[in-house]
Amino acid sequence: MSVNLEANCIQLLGDCPVGDAEPLLALLQEAPGRAVDLTKAGTLHTAVVQVLLALRPEILGRSSDPFIDRWIAPLLPMQRSG
Amino acid sequence: MDELLEQFLIEGRELVQQVSEDLLTLERDGLSPARLDSAFRAVHTLKGSVGLFDLAPMGSALHAAEDVLDAARAQQLGADRGFLDPVLACMGACEAWLDAFERLGALPASALEQCRQLEDALRRCLPGARQAAGGKTAPATSTGWAAALAATQAEAVVAAHAAGLAVTALRYLPGVDCFFLGDDPLALIRGLPELIALRVEPREPWPTAAEYSPFACNLCIEALSTATEEKIRRVFRFVPDQLALAELPAAVASAPRAPDGGGEVGARMLRVDTTRIDRLLDVVGEIMVAKNTLAGLAARVAAIDAGLGRALADNQITMERLAGDMHRAVIGMRMVPLAQTFRRFPRLMRESSAELGKPIDFQIHGDEVEADKAVVEGLFKPLLHLLRNAVDHGIEAAPRRTAAGKPTIGQVTLRATRRGHQIMVTVQDDGAGLDPAVLRAAALQRGFGTPSAIEALDDAAALNLIFAPGFSTARTVTSLSGRGVGMDAVKAAIEEMGGRVSLISEPGHSTSVQLLLPRATVITTVLTVQMGEERFGVPIEAVTETLRLPVTMIQPLGSGEAFVSRGRTLPLLRLSTLLGLPPTQRGGTIAKLLVVACGDGLVGIEVDGFSERTGLLLRPMSGLLVGMAGMLGTAIQADGRVLLILDLPGLIG
Repeated sequence: MSVNLEANCIQLLGDCPVGDAEPLLALLQEAPGRAVDLTKAGTLHTAVVQVLLALRPEILGRSSDPFIDRWIAPLLPMQRSG
Repeated sequence: MDELLEQFLIEGRELVQQVSEDLLTLERDGLSPARLDSAFRAVHTLKGSVGLFDLAPMGSALHAAEDVLDAARAQQLGADRGFLDPVLACMGACEAWLDAFERLGALPASALEQCRQLEDALRRCLPGARQAAGGKTAPATSTGWAAALAATQAEAVVAAHAAGLAVTALRYLPGVDCFFLGDDPLALIRGLPELIALRVEPREPWPTAAEYSPFACNLCIEALSTATEEKIRRVFRFVPDQLALAELPAAVASAPRAPDGGGEVGARMLRVDTTRIDRLLDVVGEIMVAKNTLAGLAARVAAIDAGLGRALADNQITMERLAGDMHRAVIGMRMVPLAQTFRRFPRLMRESSAELGKPIDFQIHGDEVEADKAVVEGLFKPLLHLLRNAVDHGIEAAPRRTAAGKPTIGQVTLRATRRGHQIMVTVQDDGAGLDPAVLRAAALQRGFGTPSAIEALDDAAALNLIFAPGFSTARTVTSLSGRGVGMDAVKAAIEEMGGRVSLISEPGHSTSVQLLLPRATVITTVLTVQMGEERFGVPIEAVTETLRLPVTMIQPLGSGEAFVSRGRTLPLLRLSTLLGLPPTQRGGTIAKLLVVACGDGLVGIEVDGFSERTGLLLRPMSGLLVGMAGMLGTAIQADGRVLLILDLPGLIG
């Protein structure tokens, strides 16, 4: 399980495979105001990224994965201060 | 204009030109693999660029041309050169389409049908099997997506091009079910080499959060990469049908590049907007004028303090030299070879020749001569008209040539030579020539003057009638020339550039139209001459020598005067007469003469006095004064006064 809810923030932990898209979606549908923390995330499957693109939750932190950080994060509503 | 479009138009025209030249060489010298390769690569590159814009018909015509050239490269077409015609026709159409696209932002309505015909003609050249397949060839994947992508990512594109890298745009549309199939589209993008921009958009608008399905891929992924097409395709080798590629036209074009290693050449070249160079030129011109005042200043200082004056004078000489160097360097930046315009003519002449059924041998000489870019570009239309005239009205139909004992193939020559600060461009044909009597008759018939005035015209003046507005001797109007633009338009265009047109004809043998144009605005060393109260400038190159001659040595000759110089008797003219000024009395015992070359001989021109020589920035006549005979232009002197610069040979006529 690499999708984890803590307080009102969804943490993505490590590499998130296609299977993480569904639980991530469920958590976002449950409470639309939740933010997603990428600080501890590794690679993200396209399906996971697509959930973020479609539902546009606020993103916290920067991914340590260079590809996500350089190319995917700019496509998302990023809150860089985290 | 959109930068991308601008680059596309420049490069597109260069590529069309490259292909045309390759094909004409193939036609003349036989099928060489290197030329075929070059033509193929240029067509291929052009087709790729065309895909960026809304030019689908052009894309499919080029696609067919590419197939034909590819088959020729693979030696599937044998020794038959019949394929050259349709490919050349395709290039002609492309050139016209590029013009239309620049003007209208779209292809003309006729393009679709024209393209279909071109494609048909091209595909007929292909061996049977490929011809059959031709109908099924995928239409060029030309959409605006790549252009739109490039526009949103302009910074990355410009940076890559500046580094001399080719940029490929790709659009990847993963299947809706791709997640089920185990695909991870962004993982492919992660593996894409040399990624420089990425855009990810939904294919369909996103549904509400409640309706969102995590299992359906709804992404359109677009990216830019500087990797080769081959490397990019390798990444997508399992989903080739979901990928579209388009190469973005390079900012720096060195028409057609070798598949690899072209970047180095490109990086050495820099395309600069001419308005920036012109701004620089203006500033340099002002420096030149400002610097001229230094000489006067140095003289005034020297009167007060000789040492300081000398130091200032030394300084002024250095400034003079540096400003001159700078001016030449900037002028040089605008200098381009005439070849840039001339190279377009062989294909157009070939078309004219075919259309009129008059075989011609078209030769170009001196296309390495350089002139200002504006002059080189401005020459295209007048020269095109003159060349078409030469084929249409100059060269006779084959039977008439045979009857006149001439070779069946007509000769048309385009020649350029440099004459100091001017260039002479000549269009000559060995056709029927112009008969002054015919021109006089036509002038009479069309009411171009009273019968007595027309009869009084000498042959040279009668030939010049052809430049009169609305005067045309063409009996039939062909599609080539005679479209309402006549020789008067040629004359106007050349004069607008500060040039002169003249025509020489030998009835039955040849017609030669000569265009004399300034190469550019340049610093000219000018001799100042005095005439009564007036001062005029004469370019020093025009003056063979200056003479101070005892008046006793001037002899009346006929209605004029003459003198003997170095054992030759030369006619003497007075500048006041040439300028239409009131005649002045010859004062004193010494006459001051300029000896000037005129035609084949020398002429003495008497002035009231001559003074210093100065380097001045010559500006061609503008506005109402354009084309005023005998005037080269104006220059601003050190004291700020304007000096009229005379064209003495022009004044003598």
